Amino acid sequence: MRHNDCVAMILAGGQGSRLGALTNQLAKPAVPFGGKYRIIDFALSNCANSGISTVGVLTQYQPLELNTYIGTGQPWDLDRINGGVYVLPPYMTGKTGEWYKGTANAIYQNERFIEQFSPDNVLILSGDHIYKMDYRRMLSFHQKSGAALTIAVFSVPLSEASRYGILSADENGRIYDFTEKPKNPTSTLASMGVYIFDWKALHKYLNEDEANPSSSNDFGKDIIPAMLADGCPIYAYSFSGYWKDVGTISSLYEANMDLLGDNPVLNLDDDEWKIYCRHTKRPSQYIGSNAELKNCCVADGCVVDGTIEHSLLFSGAVVEEGAVVTDSILFPGAHVCKGAKIDHAMLAGGTVIGEGAVIGADKGVTAMLAESPLCDGGITLVAENVEVSAGTIIGRNVVVSASV
Amino acid sequence: MNDTLGIILAGIGDAPFGALKQHRSVAAMPICSRYRLVDFLLSSMVNSGITNVGIPTLSAYRSLMDHLGSGTDWDLDRKLYGLFILPPYGVYRQTDAFVGDIDVLAGITDYLSRSKQEYVLLCGCNALFNMTFYDLHEFHLDNNADITVLCCKQPATDLSSSPRFIALRTDETGRVTDMRARDGLADNEFRSLDVWFMKKSFLEQQIAYCSSRGMHDFAMDVVIKNLKRFKVYAHCYDGYVGNLDSINDFYRENMRLLERDNFTALFCEDLPVYTKIKDQVPTRYTNTANVKNSLVGDGCTMAGTVENCVVFRGVTVEPGAVVRNSIIMQDTHIEAGANLDSVILDKNVTISAGKHLAGQSTYPIVVGKNTVI
Repeated sequence: MRHNDCVAMILAGGQGSRLGALTNQLAKPAVPFGGKYRIIDFALSNCANSGISTVGVLTQYQPLELNTYIGTGQPWDLDRINGGVYVLPPYMTGKTGEWYKGTANAIYQNERFIEQFSPDNVLILSGDHIYKMDYRRMLSFHQKSGAALTIAVFSVPLSEASRYGILSADENGRIYDFTEKPKNPTSTLASMGVYIFDWKALHKYLNEDEANPSSSNDFGKDIIPAMLADGCPIYAYSFSGYWKDVGTISSLYEANMDLLGDNPVLNLDDDEWKIYCRHTKRPSQYIGSNAELKNCCVADGCVVDGTIEHSLLFSGAVVEEGAVVTDSILFPGAHVCKGAKIDHAMLAGGTVIGEGAVIGADKGVTAMLAESPLCDGGITLVAENVEVSAGTIIGRNVVVSASV
Repeated sequence: MNDTLGIILAGIGDAPFGALKQHRSVAAMPICSRYRLVDFLLSSMVNSGITNVGIPTLSAYRSLMDHLGSGTDWDLDRKLYGLFILPPYGVYRQTDAFVGDIDVLAGITDYLSRSKQEYVLLCGCNALFNMTFYDLHEFHLDNNADITVLCCKQPATDLSSSPRFIALRTDETGRVTDMRARDGLADNEFRSLDVWFMKKSFLEQQIAYCSSRGMHDFAMDVVIKNLKRFKVYAHCYDGYVGNLDSINDFYRENMRLLERDNFTALFCEDLPVYTKIKDQVPTRYTNTANVKNSLVGDGCTMAGTVENCVVFRGVTVEPGAVVRNSIIMQDTHIEAGANLDSVILDKNVTISAGKHLAGQSTYPIVVGKNTVI
């Protein structure tokens, strides 16, 4: 096998339970994002654009749609003769075999996959972060510093630091402390969940960790602390730019909205760093004579006859005449019938909102649904393929998980 | 239809498209915001299960090759067969003699003989439709025909300008009793869609026969002259059809798709139309956008007023610009305050701030590729 200086492993097995109904039948990395993408497109496109062409995608929870989506990897230019993209589910060995117990265990179980490429380094990524990053730069930083592990970090406000894995580094960038979600953070350097390990060091620590029955087999909780305790050289690589974990309904909503505006916080219209995706085979968007579109993103195959403001329409979404969609996200194929009003809502794929129905109403609610702990900030989520009958009025902070 | 080989004659007998065609063959003419004309023919073939498609080219084929690449986007990047772009060998260029489709086909006899398919679907590239050829195939076999031509009822709008225009008349069984090139169309007659179905061996014989006798034109020399000798049948297609024979047709056919019924008739759910993937972002509409009755490709930034337009991928319309009744091709930039009506802007055109340009719907103004006004 050819020598390979870096193999990427994308952790894509998470259930994404905080995304509620969006991930009932879908792994979190396969959740649609940004009008035409899926969340995992960012990790895959970053790899492709960074020239890292051997990529393992570790799947576990509801993998079918994700597997189909990745396919041969052709949309990301990852159908290669040497390397390419590989989907890696858990597997049986002899009479035994087990699910991926933790992030580190998932990599441990695929050590033989990595070994086939005899890499110098292994890049560990999450399949559920939105960001554009050149891993090559981080890799050359890693190679120059001689680190056993390099962790990509970005600065967060001290007030938010307790939500992240927080690192403390000396003036040379060498890390001397790492705490997952500290109660009283002393540093503002947050881990992005992007690691480059020296493969030999990773191999050693994975095996030691596996031998420890009390370990939770997690990179943040077990592997990194163990390496720090042994005095391994671990360095922080600073990243500045947009980065977002879209693990909750409100963060997914916010990240989508970050694409809007004249100077969007997250700009994907970048020929130097394209985000690739598997395309639908839909015709161009059809904008009707009575349509009003202000400050929105619209993908192929949409048919718009209503009013859209500050919203995103994924491919094949339909908004009929007289319907008004504001501050909302319509996933692929969502259909809003005549006169319906949609405000601060996420309509999952294939939903149908009947004539005159209201989603995100402040008063006159007809379909009483319990407020969901997963929804906050006034967002209403309508689950996949749910039909909301004509005239139904649905309030805020709720998940509509069955047809009403 | 694994038993059928598709041949697309890209740009033979091309009609006058003026500045638009300088850089591309008719097959590569842009249509409906994100497609080239050839996409519809290729998709129809692929959706019919045809996996071997040859495209002999004559001139200005770089644009077409760039568009088609290895055929991946049409699922024609195959180990066995797939897409073959067949540039001229120079054989039929040795003299200045008239070059017809027979001469082009004579240049690809190796490809024809190497392909194992029993039948061949020989297509010109001036018609716009989205269909499958299963019915045509079955009709051909049922009639034990030598040649079956696909035709439609729809009259041509600008007959004089089309060198490939063919009118035909049939008896009640569908057998062609009369066929004429470059002539008007009577009430009970059909118009050929320039799609011919026959045995591959039959086509090979005819190519050999014609090219050794100085005959150049498939329709004229093989079909029309032999209506009595060969069993020529016509299969009528009654779905949506467009004809792109001239610059006016190009404008009109794009505009026709702004009518909802036409648009939905052409793009039915179960027959997807494949095209080259550009990986552009979704189209962004800003607060100043005012877009009505338009088809818009992806990767555009719409900040001005756009009405009754077909807008291709990656177009920018700045705030305060007004564009009506126009076709705006890929990556064109319209600056603030520009005012355009009934124009066709080719790829990568820049209309600088405040410029006014107006044609007529019967005579749209064409601005050539990379022009800055």
